[in-house]
Amino acid sequence: IMSGSKPDILWSPHHPDRYVICDSELGLYRIGPTGGSETKAGALPLSEETAATLLAINSDTPYMKCVAWYPKHEPECLLAVGQANGRVVLTSLGQSHNTACKELVGKEFVPKHARQCNTLAWNPVDSNLLAAGLDKHRADFSVLIWDISSKFSPEASVASEKIRLSSVDLDSSTVVTKPLYELGQNDACLSLCWLLRDPKLLLAGMHRNLAIFDLRNTSQKTFVNTKAVQGVTVDPHVHDRVASFFEGQVAIWDLRKFEKPVLTLTEQPKPLTKVAWCPTRNGLLATLTRDSNIIRLYDMQHTPTPIGDETEPTIIERSVQPCESQIGSFAWHPSSQNRMVVVSAANRVMTDFTVFERISLAWSSTTSLMWACGRHLYDCSEDGAEGAIEKDIATKMRQRAQSRYGHDTVQVWRNHLLAGGKDSQLKSSHMKQCAEDMELKLQGNKQAVVYSGIKNIVKTSSGTTESRRCWSGSDRQSDVPRYHSEERCLALRLCGWISRGPDIDVEIFLRSLEHEREWERAAAVALFNLDIRRAIQILNKGATADKGDLNLNVVAMALSGYTDEKSSLWREMCSSLRLQLKNPYLCVMFAFLTSETGAYDGVLFESSVAVRDRVAFACMFLSDAQLPRYIDKLTNEMKEAGNLEGILLTGLTKDGVDLMESYVDRTGDVQTASFCMLKGSPGDVLKDPRVQCWIENYRNLLDAWRFWHKRAEFDIHRGKLDPSSKPLAQVFVSCNFCGKSISYSCSAMPHQGRGFSQYGVSGSPTKSKVTSCPGCRKPLPRCALCLMNMGTPVSNCPVTGKSEEKVDLTRENKLAQFNNWFTWCHNCRHGGHAGHMLSWFRDHTECPVSACTCKCMQLDTTGNLVPSDSS
Amino acid sequence: MELHILEHSLKVASIEKEGIQICTHGLIKLAFLASKTRCKFFSLTETPEDYTIIVDEEGFKELPQSEHISVADATWLALNVVPGGGNASNSQPIGVTKIAKSVIAPLADHNISVFMLSTYQTDFILVRERDLPMVMHTLSSEFTLLRVVNGETVAVHDLGVTNGFVKPKLAPRPVIHPLSSPSNMFCVTSLDPDTLPSVATLLMDVMFYSGGLKEAGASSEDSSHIRFFSFSLIEGYISLVMDEQTTQRFPNNVLFTSASGELWKMVRIGGQPLGFDECGIVAQISEPLATADIPAYYISTFKFDHALVPEENIQSVIGALRTKSTAE
Repeated sequence: IMSGSKPDILWSPHHPDRYVICDSELGLYRIGPTGGSETKAGALPLSEETAATLLAINSDTPYMKCVAWYPKHEPECLLAVGQANGRVVLTSLGQSHNTACKELVGKEFVPKHARQCNTLAWNPVDSNLLAAGLDKHRADFSVLIWDISSKFSPEASVASEKIRLSSVDLDSSTVVTKPLYELGQNDACLSLCWLLRDPKLLLAGMHRNLAIFDLRNTSQKTFVNTKAVQGVTVDPHVHDRVASFFEGQVAIWDLRKFEKPVLTLTEQPKPLTKVAWCPTRNGLLATLTRDSNIIRLYDMQHTPTPIGDETEPTIIERSVQPCESQIGSFAWHPSSQNRMVVVSAANRVMTDFTVFERISLAWSSTTSLMWACGRHLYDCSEDGAEGAIEKDIATKMRQRAQSRYGHDTVQVWRNHLLAGGKDSQLKSSHMKQCAEDMELKLQGNKQAVVYSGIKNIVKTSSGTTESRRCWSGSDRQSDVPRYHSEERCLALRLCGWISRGPDIDVEIFLRSLEHEREWERAAAVALFNLDIRRAIQILNKGATADKGDLNLNVVAMALSGYTDEKSSLWREMCSSLRLQLKNPYLCVMFAFLTSETGAYDGVLFESSVAVRDRVAFACMFLSDAQLPRYIDKLTNEMKEAGNLEGILLTGLTKDGVDLMESYVDRTGDVQTASFCMLKGSPGDVLKDPRVQCWIENYRNLLDAWRFWHKRAEFDIHRGKLDPSSKPLAQVFVSCNFCGKSISYSCSAMPHQGRGFSQYGVSGSPTKSKVTSCPGCRKPLPRCALCLMNMGTPVSNCPVTGKSEEKVDLTRENKLAQFNNWFTWCHNCRHGGHAGHMLSWFRDHTECPVSACTCKCMQLDTTGNLVPSDSS
Repeated sequence: MELHILEHSLKVASIEKEGIQICTHGLIKLAFLASKTRCKFFSLTETPEDYTIIVDEEGFKELPQSEHISVADATWLALNVVPGGGNASNSQPIGVTKIAKSVIAPLADHNISVFMLSTYQTDFILVRERDLPMVMHTLSSEFTLLRVVNGETVAVHDLGVTNGFVKPKLAPRPVIHPLSSPSNMFCVTSLDPDTLPSVATLLMDVMFYSGGLKEAGASSEDSSHIRFFSFSLIEGYISLVMDEQTTQRFPNNVLFTSASGELWKMVRIGGQPLGFDECGIVAQISEPLATADIPAYYISTFKFDHALVPEENIQSVIGALRTKSTAE
């Protein structure tokens, strides 16, 4: 009877439902689903779904130290048992009718000197070879490789070895004493495994070193001194990766760089008893320590190969607890994903357990969500709720980018149409830019003031005059004071009420509003300009227009009854009933007419009225004392709400960035933020890290959507507005002959005083120029496909900062036609015209140069992706 | 070839027979309850004169202080010869014989005193710690020197100090001590540490209680019968040396026996206690054995040395050694 035997589990190499438990005896079990008709009385539940049935017991082999299952299909249940005295016995479980098996069962392999057999390993290819690792003996070898098919030849060996077999070995026909190979003299072998990369190589954990023996040359061995010599096991997925352990520490080795472990795992307080690679998942190692009820897992999936990489790679460590009791041993299922059977340290309690995979999750750049678990990939997309998706800012931005939102740099005001034209905030911010652009063109020197926003403009206001004008078309003196100054006038212009010139003439604005059928707004603007008749006229027009609102006539009527009598019934009724008007502009009209002079809160704080109208109103009717206070208050309100209309007030200043920040916080719309800030902002605002962050994020978004052309356009645009963002040239094409850069060299080379025409190539000067080095006039390399010399006209064009603007677009396009660009593989250095290369690699992965086997296209990770925006 | 300098700091002690009872508590702990101590190197050898204990510093703490115990004043280091790197499988003579010419003779030539302990698994050559620089200097040409530090082997280099080292005297080495050959035959064996508890009482009996009884019975019939038993537990490996009769007391299949069932006879060296300072005793014995290609075990004790040679070779060995002692 074996004392202190710790149990172990072995899965059948060929039957996915069978395993053997070995402790003091061998027990063969079959695992199957619980319940159903098959449930037998003796079935042991292993999990909620599975149960095991004991098929056979073998207690013929006492002093069992280690067991290994014959790796071939036939005989199917042949086991090698290593004993405490170093003998290896072949045995089987269950009945076998295989004659080969009958011959083998009972065969014993006896070492010259008895000592414990620590480990056994069948050769995975030549299954006749069985390696046994034994303890140290002063005059013997510790690694014996037996040939299980060898026959005992007593006469031959008796003479030389003076074998005196004891009484136990009476049936000497089954005893083999001559190993095929003897390795590791005067050493101990604690663990063994055959290397999968070459079945002639045997890795052995010896006393204080790991050694690789090569059966083709047994006098040599490769070895490394280490303490980690227990439980050597080769990763079934990476044949150069090996794990071994010593006490609480696991060392991972790379056989290609065997001098030291590539990594060591965190040391456990208790000694390890088993370390096993998961056969179904790459880079997953399970470890077990003594007296523990958990199995520790190390995920090395993303561990880079150690060649030339000195940094310790990252590993993900976690623990699983398959059962309550302390674990004696475990074994991965050979084919079922991440599944293992665990046996308890005592009483042989077994558990069927599947390690749940870590879930990794990723949002796509569009609206879907994906997660991966094991070998499954789940795609989650919102179903049905199209409205919700449409409202999502990511979808919006993508659609807007697709419709070239922000890219109309000539007619900036059109951009809000590109965005769909629905968003009033966007409209106002672009209107504002439009107005600014006009201002800019008219009075370039005032740029600084214009871009600083109305808030700053009114602050600088001085020389304000006050006037009391008559109501238009009436002789009555209005008691409403109106204020004028140059700055207020500029502000009105920014609000879009007046256009140019010194006159405050809103008629053009009114007409444009009428054109857009904004009757109420037009009426209000007319009224605020003290033209009550025009207001009534507009309302009438609105009521009679196609699909007009007849109620506007009623409003017009009410308006016509205006009286400045303080205590009139009209005044009383209007000030209370106006609140029931649904249209904010109608509401503020009556608020204006019924309010006391200088107290226009009813107009100023009506949030449904556009900010620019309220600001224009404030500029007309608030005193120098009131105006800045109101503007400040409104600015803060806008900033807090992240309302883009507020840009009118803040301008594209630091204040504007604050406002934009709260807009982005609220909406996530980095697209609008990037374009806005890029367009009008002075340099120091552009350098604000927030602005840079929006721009970079927007560029990343475009990249993620594969809108590469859009991104390129954006970069070009950005480079024009913010020259500091232009990257420096990173690639230069140099001539093979003279080594000088072939670009820009015409003008840069002083010695090239004479033109080509003097050398008789004037017939086609462009052509000959283009395909030869401008420095030495030797031909440029040939395209690997068309075998023509390469060269683009633009490469010869001296381009300096200033002349760039002058190059007309069509010419530029013609010169820089992408198809003619130089392209080459960074690996094999072969290349040619971009167009030719593109069409070649559409059908090929290998380099077009005949002798070259470089897989250029596979090296280019993005080469196989296509942009999702057409240029 | 590699020479490993092991990390154990060893003490060599002698316990008088009549003082053994005060030590049994510690000795049982060291031999059978290894998990209770941090001792990694323990050897006990019983001879008719005394018990010789070789134990590391951790284990030494388990022994009491008593007038019955004498301790050699030096600290000893164990050396171990390992075939090492490249060459692996060419069969060489076994045990002490193998290292006689490469280790023992050169050390004797340099006047370095050695203390030998052969076990089932290997041979340990004990040298005084203070002699280590000289040992390394002497052996660095023949061996790759490796030192075991925290269980891992690291290369060490001869410090290159030749200053003051005496030139070796390459004189012939006659056998100068009287030899005797007891009549009983010995087994060198081992057992599975897992089965140790099952034979612990038997081993305690053999170690501490069988001596007097056996002597009384045996001496009358065979005066040259010797009481000799050795037990060692070194780095987890058990080694036993006992005479054939004692092996009969063990259950079947507990003791590891070689397939050839080899038996050994003893050559006992020394008439007077040998002491620790005389050099060349092991060399005197092992060199002729090496020349004759006879395998041997060699166990030094506090007072005498013991060589074990195959039973069929004992006559030729005695003959050769006697010739050697008288020839000079």
